[in-house]
Amino acid sequence: MRYFLRRALHAVFLLFGVSLLTFLFSALTPGNYFDEMRLNPQISKATVAALRAQYQLDRPLPVRYLHWLNAVAHGELGFSFAYNSPVGPILWVRARNTLLLTITAMLLAWLLALPLGVWSASRLGRAPDRILSGTTATLLVIPELVLALGLLILAVRTHWFPTGGLVSVGFESVSPLQKLQDLASHMVLPVTALVLGTLPMLVRHVRASVAEALQAPFLRAAVGHGIPRRKLLYGYALRAAANPLISLFGFSVGTLLSGSLLVEVVMSWPGVGPLLVEAILARDLFVVIGGVLLSMIFLVGGNLLADALLYWADPRIRTAASAK
Amino acid sequence: MRKERSYTRRRRFALSLVLTCASTVALTAKGLPRPRQTNAQEELLALPGEIGRSGGRLVVSLRGEPKTLNPLTAVDAPSREVIGAMQADLVHINRSTQLTEPALAKSWKISRDGLQYTLALRPGLRFSDGHPLDADDVLFSFRVYLDESIHAPQRDLLIVGGKPITVRKLDPQTLVFQFAKPYGVEERLFDGFAILPRHLLEKPYQEGKLAQSWAPSTPANEWAGLGPFRLKEYVPGQKLVLERNPYYWKTDMKGNRLPYLDELVFLFVPSADAQVLRFQSGETDIITRLGAENFSVLSRQQRGFTMADAGPGLEYNFLFFNLNDLGEKPSADFTRKQEWFRNVKFRQAVSAAVDRDAIVRLVYQGRGSALWGPVTPGNRRWVNAAIPHAPRSLERARTLLKEAGFSWSTAANGETTLFDPEGKPVEFSILTSSSNADRTKMATLIQDDLKQLGMHVQVVPLEFRSLLDRATQTKEYDAGILGLASFDADPNSDMNVWLSSGGLHFWHPSQSHPSTTWEAEIDRLMEQQLATAGYDQRRKLYDRVQEILAQNQPMIFLASPDILVGAKNSIANFHPAVLEPYVLWNVEQLYIRNGPENASR
Amino acid sequence: MTQRRKLTRWLIVLVFLHGVVAAAGFFAPYDPVEQDRERPYLPPMRIHLIDAYGHFHLRPFFYPLRLRKGSFDQYEEDTASAVPLRFFTRGADYRLLRLVPSRLHLFGATVAARVYLLGSDAYGRDQLSRILYGGQVSLLAGLLGAGVTLLLGALIGMAAGYYGGWRDDLLMRAAELFLALPWLYLLFALRAFLPLTVSPLEAFLLVVVVTGMVGWARPARLVRGVVLSVKELDFVRAARGFGASDLYLLRSHILPETANVLLTQAAILVPQFVLAEMTLSFLGLGVPEPMSSWGNLLASLQQYSVLVSYWWMYLPALAIVPFFLGYLGLASALQQRSSAYKIDGESGWSPT
Repeated sequence: MRYFLRRALHAVFLLFGVSLLTFLFSALTPGNYFDEMRLNPQISKATVAALRAQYQLDRPLPVRYLHWLNAVAHGELGFSFAYNSPVGPILWVRARNTLLLTITAMLLAWLLALPLGVWSASRLGRAPDRILSGTTATLLVIPELVLALGLLILAVRTHWFPTGGLVSVGFESVSPLQKLQDLASHMVLPVTALVLGTLPMLVRHVRASVAEALQAPFLRAAVGHGIPRRKLLYGYALRAAANPLISLFGFSVGTLLSGSLLVEVVMSWPGVGPLLVEAILARDLFVVIGGVLLSMIFLVGGNLLADALLYWADPRIRTAASAK
Repeated sequence: MRKERSYTRRRRFALSLVLTCASTVALTAKGLPRPRQTNAQEELLALPGEIGRSGGRLVVSLRGEPKTLNPLTAVDAPSREVIGAMQADLVHINRSTQLTEPALAKSWKISRDGLQYTLALRPGLRFSDGHPLDADDVLFSFRVYLDESIHAPQRDLLIVGGKPITVRKLDPQTLVFQFAKPYGVEERLFDGFAILPRHLLEKPYQEGKLAQSWAPSTPANEWAGLGPFRLKEYVPGQKLVLERNPYYWKTDMKGNRLPYLDELVFLFVPSADAQVLRFQSGETDIITRLGAENFSVLSRQQRGFTMADAGPGLEYNFLFFNLNDLGEKPSADFTRKQEWFRNVKFRQAVSAAVDRDAIVRLVYQGRGSALWGPVTPGNRRWVNAAIPHAPRSLERARTLLKEAGFSWSTAANGETTLFDPEGKPVEFSILTSSSNADRTKMATLIQDDLKQLGMHVQVVPLEFRSLLDRATQTKEYDAGILGLASFDADPNSDMNVWLSSGGLHFWHPSQSHPSTTWEAEIDRLMEQQLATAGYDQRRKLYDRVQEILAQNQPMIFLASPDILVGAKNSIANFHPAVLEPYVLWNVEQLYIRNGPENASR
Repeated sequence: MTQRRKLTRWLIVLVFLHGVVAAAGFFAPYDPVEQDRERPYLPPMRIHLIDAYGHFHLRPFFYPLRLRKGSFDQYEEDTASAVPLRFFTRGADYRLLRLVPSRLHLFGATVAARVYLLGSDAYGRDQLSRILYGGQVSLLAGLLGAGVTLLLGALIGMAAGYYGGWRDDLLMRAAELFLALPWLYLLFALRAFLPLTVSPLEAFLLVVVVTGMVGWARPARLVRGVVLSVKELDFVRAARGFGASDLYLLRSHILPETANVLLTQAAILVPQFVLAEMTLSFLGLGVPEPMSSWGNLLASLQQYSVLVSYWWMYLPALAIVPFFLGYLGLASALQQRSSAYKIDGESGWSPT
C-alpha cells in the first residue's frame, strides 16, 4: 500500500512538473490574445474581463501559475478563438472520438499480439516463427504515415470504405443498429492503420519475453510434470513473461491520446490530433495547451497504471517493496 | 337597394375581369416578377420560372460552422450563407440578372435630388412565427444596424456623405430614407439588410444583449425571419436544419406558395475535400465554389450529378506590399525593404515578371482569367477594357529594375542575386493563407518567377486570421497574397478597399489622410462616383480609378477563378450565378424532380 | 561470426543508400526546384526498348508526353518523337556535398524533352530529383537530431551514473519528466509559436535542435545503467585507487563501455527523428517551399483530388522504406551482438 501511495505521489509530482513546463511555455509566447478577443464583438466585455481576471496577466509568474492551476482544477481550460467557445467542451468531444479509436485499436492489437507472440515463441526458429518475424519486420519499416496514406488510397480507389469522417449524413435518423454499422465502417481504416502500426512491436516484445521465460528451469519441470501445452504457454510462460509486457501495456495506455495524431489527420477523423494541428496553425493558444495537458495526464496516468498493475501482478515487487 | 346591388355586382364583375386579364398578362409575360394578391390581406410576390413540385429535403455542405445567426454580427462565410436562406431584405439584387428587384418593398421612389427614398412595404406580410410585419420592424432594424455599440459590419455602408442615413415612417406601410448626399448605388444599397423582428429583438437590444443574441443554439421559438426557411434544429459539430417558412411571401406563377422544399440541411464539413467526398457519395445534393482540381475529378465521373462552370466570378487575387507608415517601430532591415516596395518601378517590375498564364493554367486548370485590374471579365458592366494586358516580360522587368537603380551579380555557384542601390540583396517574404491551397500555389509560382529576377522570396503560409491580423493590425509583414470577392458587381461594394481610409486598403489601411497623390486622387474619384447617379458618369470615374491602379500597382493583380458548382440531377431550377450565394440564391425555387429515388427523402 | 557478417551487411546497405542520397546531384537528373509549367502532374514516363513500330533499340528511350486535346491534366505519349536516354550526361549545375561543383548526371535527356521517371508535381518539378534531394533534408535532420539527443543523453547519463547521490536523483527525475511529455505535440507547439518568417535553413536547424532536446531521456537512462555497472568493475576501482581523475576514468574506461548502448540507440533513434521531421513537414510545420523533404512531398496527398488522380505522388513514401529497413536491420544486429542487451520495454522501438 505504501508503495502504491509513493508511486501515486510520484505521479502527482510529475504532473506538477509537466504542468509547470506547459504553463511556462504558454506564458512566454508572444502576442496578446486578449486584445484580439476584445475586437470580437460577439464576446461580451464581461467575458473578456472575467478571463483577464482569471489569467492575471499583470501579476508575477508564480501567482499566475497558481491561478492557472486553480482554473484547470475546476475544468476551465480557457477560450478558443477558432471555435468561439470554451476549450473544455470542444476538447472532451474530440478526446472521446480519439479514445474510441485508440482503445479499439489497442485492444485489438493486444488481443492479436498475445497469441501470435506466444505461438511464435513456442515454435522459435522454425518456419511459422520466421514468417511471422519477417512480416513484423516488414511492417515495422513502414512508417505509420505511409501506412495510413496507403490505406486511404486503397479506400478511394475501391470505394469499399468511407474515406474519412466519423459518421455519414442522416446518422441521427437511423436505427441504433445502423448507427453502429455506420460508425464501424468509418472506423475500419483508421483502426487498421493503428493496429498495423503497433502490432509488430507488440508481437516482437511478447515473443521475446515468452521465449526467454520458456528457457526457465521451472518450465522444463512443468513439461516434465505433463502439464498440457496450452496451459503451459498461457498459464505459466506468459505469466512469467508478464513483467515487461505490463510496463508496455501501461505505456500503451499512456499514448492513447497522442499516438494517433497522424492517422486522425490523414483519415479526417475528428479527434484530438486534427484539433491540435488546426489550433497550432491558428495559434489558438488555449486549445493547444489544453490538448497537451490532457495527453500529459494520460501519459502520467499510464505510467501509474503500469506501476499499479505490476505491483498487483508480480509478488516479487510486493515483497521487494515491503522489504524496503 | 336593388340599384346598389346591381351596381356592386357590375362593379365586381368588371373588377374580376380586369384581374383575370391582368393575371393572364402576368402569367404569359416574362421578366420582372409581379405582385399577386391571394387574399385581401397579403400581397405576395410571384416569381417567373419553372413550376416545381413541393416537398423534399436539400442537403448542402458548409465549410465550417456558422458562428451566429445574427445578421448584425455575422462576418464569417458559413454564418452569412445560412442567414441568407433565413432572412429577407427590402430590395433584392437578382443574382442572375445582377439588377434590382422589389422584395419586401413592393415599390420605391427616389426623389429628384436623390436625397429621399420612399419605399412602400408589401402589406399583410408575416414573420416566420406568424407575427405581422410593419414599418416599425424596418425602423428598428435600421436603428440597430446604425447603432455604434453593436459594431454591425454593414454599418459603414449606411454612412453616405459622412452622415448616417435616417429612416422615418410615413405610415405603417411606407418608409422614407433620408440621405445626406445623393448615392450612386441607389436602391442596391438595401440588398442584404435583413429586416429583423422587433417583437423578439427589442428587449435584448434594450438590455444591451443584442450582439450575443441568436447564436446557432437559439431555441426555434426565439427566432423569426422573413426568409424562405426558418430555424428548426441545430446539432453542434454536425448540422443545422432549416424548415420551410409557411408564411413566406413569394409564390410561383401558379400561385403555389414558395419554397418548394420542406427542409434545407446544412452539414458542417471541415474542408473542401470533405465537401467533395460527401458530394460524390451522394450525401449532399449541391456543391458550390469548387476548386478547379476537384471540379475536374468530379467532372470525370458525372454519375447522377452534373457539374457546371458558371463563368468568371468576381473574385480577384492580388499580391500586395507593406507600404504602411510605421514610425520608429520597424527595424533598419524592414525600412530598407520598404524603400524597394515604395518604388513604383519595383512594383511594376514584379508585375511584369509574374506569369499570370501559368497561374491560370496550373492553379485553376484553365478555368479562370488573368487579371491586370480588380474588375474581372465577369463584371462586364464595369470592367475597363482599355487597361493594357501586358504579357509577361522578364526583359521589361529587368529594364524597370535597372532604371530604379538595382543591379545584379552572379555568385560563384551560379546563382544570380538582385542588389538594391545600396548593395544589399533583395530578399523578402510573402505571407499566404495556409488553408487556401490556390493562393499558396500562386505564391510558389511567383517565388519562382521572382527568382528569375534574382530576388529571394520566402513563402510563409499562415492561418487566415493571423494573416489578416498582421496585414491590418500589427502590420508586421513584407508582402502578402490575398483575394477578395465583392458581394456585388457595383464598385461601391469595394469602397473599403480603394478608399485610403478604408480598413481593407491592404497596402496601407485606415489612413487618416491619403499619403500619396494618386491615393488622394482615387479617394476623390470614389467619393464622386458614390454621389453620382447615372451609370455612364460613374463608369467614367471608375475607369479612371482602374487606370490609376494599373499605373501605380499598389496591388499586383493575378487571376480570377471561374465559379464552379455541381448539383445532383434530381435538383431542378438549378441556375448557378456568379454572385454569392452562387447556387442558393434562388433556393426558394429549387425543387426535387420527380423520380422513384426521390420519393421519400 | 555470422553476427559480424550480418552487421557488416547492414552497414554496407546503409552506406550505399546514404551515398545515393548524399550524391543526389549526380543521381538526380534535374534541379529539384526547377519548375516546368507546361507539364504539371505528369505521370511517370515509361522507358521503352521497343518502339511503336516494333523495332528494338539498344539504347532505352522515352516518348515525351503532351496534353490531350481539351484536357488540362490528361497526357498522352507523343509517339512521333522518340527521345533517347543519355547516361553520364551533362545537366544542371550542382555541388556535390556542397563543395565540389559538377555538371555530371547519371542520366538525362535533351534540353527540350525532360525525362520524368517518377512523374512531376503541381509545378512540373521532377519527383525523382525531389525525392533524392528531399532525402538529404530528412536524413540529415534524423542524423543530426539523433546526434544531439545522444550527446545530451550520454552526458547526462554519465553524470548521473558516475556521481550518483542527489545529482543522480535530480537528473533521473528530470528524465522521467521528459519521458512523460508528449513530445510530438510539444514539438509542433514549439515550432508553431516561434517566429514564422525564418529562412529554410533556420527552420531546418530549429527542427533538429528541438527534436534533439526533447528526446534525451531514454538514452540517458540506458547510459546511466551501463555506467552504474561499469563503475563497480574491478579495474575501474583499481584505476581510481591509483589516483585517476574523474575525467580520465570517464573518458578512458567508462565511455568505451557505453559505446555499444549509444550505437544501438543511434540505429533506433535516427529513423524516429527522420519520422519526426517527416511528420512536421507533412503538416506544414517543417521545411518550407521550395525545399523538398520526404514529409512535404507527401503533403499534397492531403488533397482529395491528388489522392484520386495522381497516384505517383505516393511514391516518396516507398522511398523511405529501404532506409528504415537498413536501420532496423542494423539495430537488431547490434542488439544481438551485445549479449548484455535484453529487449525490454525500455530500449525498444516506440514512435511516441
